[in-house]
Amino acid sequence: MNQIRNNVPGISRRQLLKYSGLGVAAVAGGGLLSACGGGDDGGGGNGGGGPQNNGGILIHGATGGGSKDTLDPHQPVTNPDIARVSNLFEPLLFWNSNYELEPALAESVESSSDGSKWTIKMRSGVTFHNGKPVTAEDAWFSIQRVADPKKPLSAGGQLSQIIDFQSTKVVDDTTLELALKAPYAILDSLLAEYTLGIIPTDFDLANPVGTGAFQYKSFEPGKTSVFTKYADYWGDAAFVDELHIQDFTDDNAKVNALQAGQIQTVDNLPYNLIETIKGAGGGVLISETGAWVPFTMRVDVAPFSDVKVRQAMRLIVDRQAMIDQTLSGYGSLGNDLYAPFDAAYANDLPQREQDIDQAKSLLKEAGHEGLQVELFTGDDISSVAPAAANLFVEQAKLAGVDVKVTKKTPFYDDDYLSYPFAQDFWNTRNYIPQAAVGTFPPAQGGTYNETHWDNAEHRDLVNTAAQTLDEAKRNDLLHQAQEIEYNEGGLIIWGFRQQVDGYAANVQGLEPSKYLPLGSYKFQKVSV
Amino acid sequence: MSQVATLPDPLEEVAPPRGRHGGAAWAVWLLRRIGLALLTLWLVSVLVYVATVALGDPVRAILGRDYNSNPGRVAQLEAQLNADQGLVARYFDWLGGLLTGDPGTSLANQQPVWGQISANVLNTLVLVLLAAAVMIPLAFGIAMISAHYRRRRPDTVIQTILLGLAGVPEFVIGILLVALFSTTVFHVLPAVTLVSPTGHPWDQPAGMVLPVATLVLAVTPYVSRIVRATLLEVLDSDYVELARLKGIPEPVVMRKHALLNAIVPGIQVIALQLAWLAGGVVLVETLFAYPGIGRQLVDSVRNHDVPMVQALSMIIAAVYIAVNLVADILSILLTPRARTAISQ
Repeated sequence: MNQIRNNVPGISRRQLLKYSGLGVAAVAGGGLLSACGGGDDGGGGNGGGGPQNNGGILIHGATGGGSKDTLDPHQPVTNPDIARVSNLFEPLLFWNSNYELEPALAESVESSSDGSKWTIKMRSGVTFHNGKPVTAEDAWFSIQRVADPKKPLSAGGQLSQIIDFQSTKVVDDTTLELALKAPYAILDSLLAEYTLGIIPTDFDLANPVGTGAFQYKSFEPGKTSVFTKYADYWGDAAFVDELHIQDFTDDNAKVNALQAGQIQTVDNLPYNLIETIKGAGGGVLISETGAWVPFTMRVDVAPFSDVKVRQAMRLIVDRQAMIDQTLSGYGSLGNDLYAPFDAAYANDLPQREQDIDQAKSLLKEAGHEGLQVELFTGDDISSVAPAAANLFVEQAKLAGVDVKVTKKTPFYDDDYLSYPFAQDFWNTRNYIPQAAVGTFPPAQGGTYNETHWDNAEHRDLVNTAAQTLDEAKRNDLLHQAQEIEYNEGGLIIWGFRQQVDGYAANVQGLEPSKYLPLGSYKFQKVSV
Repeated sequence: MSQVATLPDPLEEVAPPRGRHGGAAWAVWLLRRIGLALLTLWLVSVLVYVATVALGDPVRAILGRDYNSNPGRVAQLEAQLNADQGLVARYFDWLGGLLTGDPGTSLANQQPVWGQISANVLNTLVLVLLAAAVMIPLAFGIAMISAHYRRRRPDTVIQTILLGLAGVPEFVIGILLVALFSTTVFHVLPAVTLVSPTGHPWDQPAGMVLPVATLVLAVTPYVSRIVRATLLEVLDSDYVELARLKGIPEPVVMRKHALLNAIVPGIQVIALQLAWLAGGVVLVETLFAYPGIGRQLVDSVRNHDVPMVQALSMIIAAVYIAVNLVADILSILLTPRARTAISQ
């Protein structure tokens, strides 16, 4: 019953706060409204569109989680972990809701003319939750923790290889000069990941302090965590007094709780429950993402070593049917290219469509008529993967290709990265970091090169682009690299998933974000 | 004869000690039963250990697709598992820890196992005890009404409903209750149990109503049907007939003569049902997001978190054994012939 009581607008003291904060709230609300006008999908919901209320408790129902949960700012594992670190900690730069860089704890991140030295200017007046001001020393400590060359964490894979740890220096309290071993033109984008939150040099996981709009109160793996509004937040302070993040292992329990008014937001609403939530007066937030579940063909073993076979397989896929059937229509078309939000994304390459005749003739030319292949899939890739694999079997039949699906449990075992034909999952990234980790040989940083793609020309283009500061030139190089992958690559990228989240009728201030679910989990913008 | 037929097994295991003082005989009997329980528990510990070791390589399961790219973490986890020691040495290490109250450290999050499961053990225990407190009087009440109206309309209606309930899986009952009271028809009760990190599920009593009701509805039919069957048998017996002929009023016959004799099989059924509930009703816990040990066990198996799985399995086994021991003792105490057989 606690929740229900908390939804009732507060009294006396809280009322007073509400009025004193009304001016700020109205301005913020207006800003959000205009921002929403620009977006489509009617996402934001924003109920009646009145000014947002201060106070109250926001309870977020997070999908998944369990005893693996952690509050470590740099290695979140589960969905609730991501929601938690996004509210406790902040990186030097933000990806905004349109997946563009924006200053955050750093006022500016600028490179030297050749891109080998980067100067980071810290924002002044930012304090950690314990009152200590944020300095360049803290930023360098955080980067070193993530980019430890011996044990890099998720945001540090690339950083650990390019930072020159000896020559980097903290110039003064607000300036960090990051020296690189070789020029790297998009270093700023590596600093904007939610897994690179800035923490103080005396960070203690038992009492984690960051700079986010909410500060730590309590946490228990697999259960509830509680955060309180950080009054001295450098940006617009949160509307709600407390943020609770509750783990849900079951989708039905999550949606029931939303319907019963016990929680206010949920991430990853199951497609079949969208209408239920709408019917109960709640809102559904739909956001574009760059997340994909490709088919991966190894380019170094038969039959996929023949580029004609690879292109034939790409022509077999009915991409719209994949989206309709495995994502219930909540997706956008893929063109065998990743990083759809990158400024360099090759929009101009013709959209590849199902062409059975062309596929058949390519297979005939390659001498692989009546081809038989084994497709490896598994539930641990994503729930989408087995469904897509089974649908591919049907589509391949049209071209006379006999696909046998083998479901592995677990999929990610010793055979991962050696399957001739399989699937994998990737989240939103820009082209250069994705190409480096997914298409380079392992020795050069391609830790997850499923297709064993090893193309020197492509690699040179990507490496040169990574060192080219001029954006137009860089995008041109990346365009060439994408053309090579479009014509010869081993990935079948049939679509990008749309993120579907849900919220209760009284929730205001959510807007779709291309980066993370529920408006990148920026709960400080949300009022109840 | 009917009485003997309904007696539980424990009698047969116990050779009645002869020529001893009643109290001493009781103590010997009790010690013997507890000894047997501990022996069973030890055998279970061997089984649990062997079974969890056979779960597969936990390190690989924890790291997933990062296994190949992160040899540092692999080495760290393998060191924690003492992978280089022999199976027997590791078993005794673990058993020693268990006996001294230290079941180890979770592999998934590097926190002590006991700290993570103690709250959930308590939560499940409270849920089960609440369900039992509602279920036992309810089941006996229904059985008495049913037996009273035997094979007449009220009995038929009751039996049909009970059979229907027994046929529906407990999570379906739960879903229906949630739709009825929380989300679709009425909005009077919370749909899930939300627990603040410092609190307990029962801090919000309303949140306990639906989980308890679901368990009660799932278990009552079995208990009630068994008690009714026994009651009918007893009501047909000669001594009840004699009591009636002596002019004792029917309610007294039912309470004093029939019910007391029908209670023993009821206790055995209740014990089995409670032990089953205490093992964690995963589906019910999941549906109500109730923080109990069933869900934790599933989560731990999924994470291949061996120390957690072992500790939880041992707790569940201990509850099974304890509940059955208590049921046996109660059965003996409530059966005069068995009682005297021991202290003779």
